[in-house]
Amino acid sequence: MSDIKKAPEGITANKTLDAKGLSCPMPLLRTKKEIEKIKAGEILEVLGTDPGSRNDIPGWCARSGHEYLGEKEDAGFIRFYVKKK
Amino acid sequence: MGSFGERLVGVYESVFKRTWSPMTGGIILAILAIYMEAWQRPWGIVGGLRNWGDWVFYMVGLFDKKPPHILFYSSSVMNLGLLAGAWVSAIIAREFAFRVPPMLEIWKGFFAGILMGVGSTLAYGCNVGGFYSAVQNLAANGFAMMVGLIAGVIVGLKYLYWEMEHFTPGPAGPTFLGNIPPVIGFIGLVGLIVAAYAYTYSNVEDASLMAGYLLIGAGIGFVFHRSRLCMVNAFREPFMTGEAAMGKAIAVSITLGAVGVAILKYAGLRDTSLFVVSSFWWGSLLGGFIFGTGMVVAGGCGSGSLWRVAEGQIKLWVVMITFALTNSLMRHWFGENHWMSKLGKAVYLPDTFGYGGSIFLVIAAMLVWYIVIDWNEESNKLVIEM
Repeated sequence: MSDIKKAPEGITANKTLDAKGLSCPMPLLRTKKEIEKIKAGEILEVLGTDPGSRNDIPGWCARSGHEYLGEKEDAGFIRFYVKKK
Repeated sequence: MGSFGERLVGVYESVFKRTWSPMTGGIILAILAIYMEAWQRPWGIVGGLRNWGDWVFYMVGLFDKKPPHILFYSSSVMNLGLLAGAWVSAIIAREFAFRVPPMLEIWKGFFAGILMGVGSTLAYGCNVGGFYSAVQNLAANGFAMMVGLIAGVIVGLKYLYWEMEHFTPGPAGPTFLGNIPPVIGFIGLVGLIVAAYAYTYSNVEDASLMAGYLLIGAGIGFVFHRSRLCMVNAFREPFMTGEAAMGKAIAVSITLGAVGVAILKYAGLRDTSLFVVSSFWWGSLLGGFIFGTGMVVAGGCGSGSLWRVAEGQIKLWVVMITFALTNSLMRHWFGENHWMSKLGKAVYLPDTFGYGGSIFLVIAAMLVWYIVIDWNEESNKLVIEM
């Protein structure tokens, strides 16, 4: 599988979804639901602790056409960034 | 390009750090499943979980009969190996951490584990012994469970959609012990080898067999975690996102393993009755349905729950505990009433179709599944909308 994509420095999100502590498939399901609430071109930030999200979120973006911008490691969790198509 | 040292780092990272593709995991899993059966017996999970549950009920005085020793019971040792192998992988990849989920997830794990315990009793096994290994062992009950699993997964997924509309999970608990250095994982690897040697030098009857269960089990756990191989994902994704990579990997894995196991049985090296159990069809169908619903809510099947336990996911610890206790209790109750033989018939496919026909049947079933989910990946016809 591919390397981990780092999010660009200074990225800001229009909306944040806290999926910390949730395990597969809830982070992805909630991401699918949250993305409906923002406009095209806006950015959704997903906070998660499940390592599986590292495959699930980029994989889902590739399939659904949203742009995966990358991730940022934080203290004990990961921030994922998705730009709505 | 690059120096020898750089290449070495590259190899290290691709083996231990980067996630393997599902297909890589599926193919290696098939090889290990054949190794396990060639060593002595098919790979299974529930027998070991039940052994642990039996011990709990024996200790509290509910069961009279002393269960086999945890360290000298085949399926239990396979599970210990799986846990250790997945833990080694998680530590080395720095993906281990105890993750305490919100309360809602704990409760889901609690009830999903009970469903999995009930389903695996009726089907004589979880997605591994009742489906994956059963199909590879050319048992009709494996196919019946597959149908049940698919139906159960759809119900489980509908529940998750409903839950999202009606519940918001509370705050997550803490995440801790997330920075254990990878070297600890390599020490764990050495520990496994020492344990295997200890078994071969033990005087306990059949102890040397345990060495193989432990090491092959550890290989299975390592491969599962490296590729994040997940049979829940394989069954669920075609209905949730359309993604088919995991489903295809499992279809290929089952086919490859079935040929290997068929050779062992055809050559008379293994008893043909292995994993052919009296649950065809309704025990496996109903068991598969209940288990399938449970595993989607749990977020892990038999194997998937164990490797996530090793990764530190507390929700799956809850699942493993209620799954093991429920299976132990229900199997005991069914056993007392002589119900286990009334769940259906034991049908060994080659008795009806011959070995050629049976392998053809496995290939045909896996190919249909492969083609349907591949077509669905483009068309999304099976995807259930939120």
